[in-house]
Amino acid sequence: MCKARLTSDKYALHSSVMNSKPALPEEVEPGRDYSFRKDMRVNGWSWAAVLTSFVGEVFLLPHHKDWPTALRAVIALVPLIFSLLWVRSVMQWIRGMDELQRRITTAAAVFATVTTLFVIAASHLLVIAGVFPARFQVTAGFIIIWLVVCFYLFGRGIFNRRYQ
Amino acid sequence: MKNRLRELRAAKEWSQLDLAEKLGVSRQTINAIETEKYDPSLPLAFKVAWLFKLPIEEIFEHDGK
Repeated sequence: MCKARLTSDKYALHSSVMNSKPALPEEVEPGRDYSFRKDMRVNGWSWAAVLTSFVGEVFLLPHHKDWPTALRAVIALVPLIFSLLWVRSVMQWIRGMDELQRRITTAAAVFATVTTLFVIAASHLLVIAGVFPARFQVTAGFIIIWLVVCFYLFGRGIFNRRYQ
Repeated sequence: MKNRLRELRAAKEWSQLDLAEKLGVSRQTINAIETEKYDPSLPLAFKVAWLFKLPIEEIFEHDGK
């Protein structure tokens, strides 16, 4: 009985993992293994966030200050909802990776997030110090998302080299 | 941590990709383990041991660091 259970446990341990293909970061990065379909599944919500943020910040909110506050609040918050959905799909994607890729990707994501925060803080201080004009202050959602993506790709390059 | 993964894989005439597919990991992970740049987690080490039908301590050896 004990042997039978052990065999059963072994089967449960290995069958679910061994035949499944892990998610690869290269599938959503520019290069040979890029897959548009996979990229859209992981980063599709980020495009929605960038687009709605850009339209809201550039075309709608500055020019329609007479619109009801509730409507303006909805326009302002829609990119945030898309950003949260993006984070959710990225988390699911990371969960599908193997342990090394998960480690590299998580390190790169933390690097990207922290570096973006520093850039936002630095741009704010440089504007206050009068070094840069106010237009250089990083506040637009679509620029912040692009910064995160750029720093993520840079961070992945750094952390990836350690394991090659 | 030292390991005999490259030697065991060569004995079976598997490529890194073959082994990666059998273990459900990426080829980069197999390469990083073989070159001792990455120590696998306990579940992955057990999977390797199970695949080669060897005790885990015959594949992985702590180098005392």
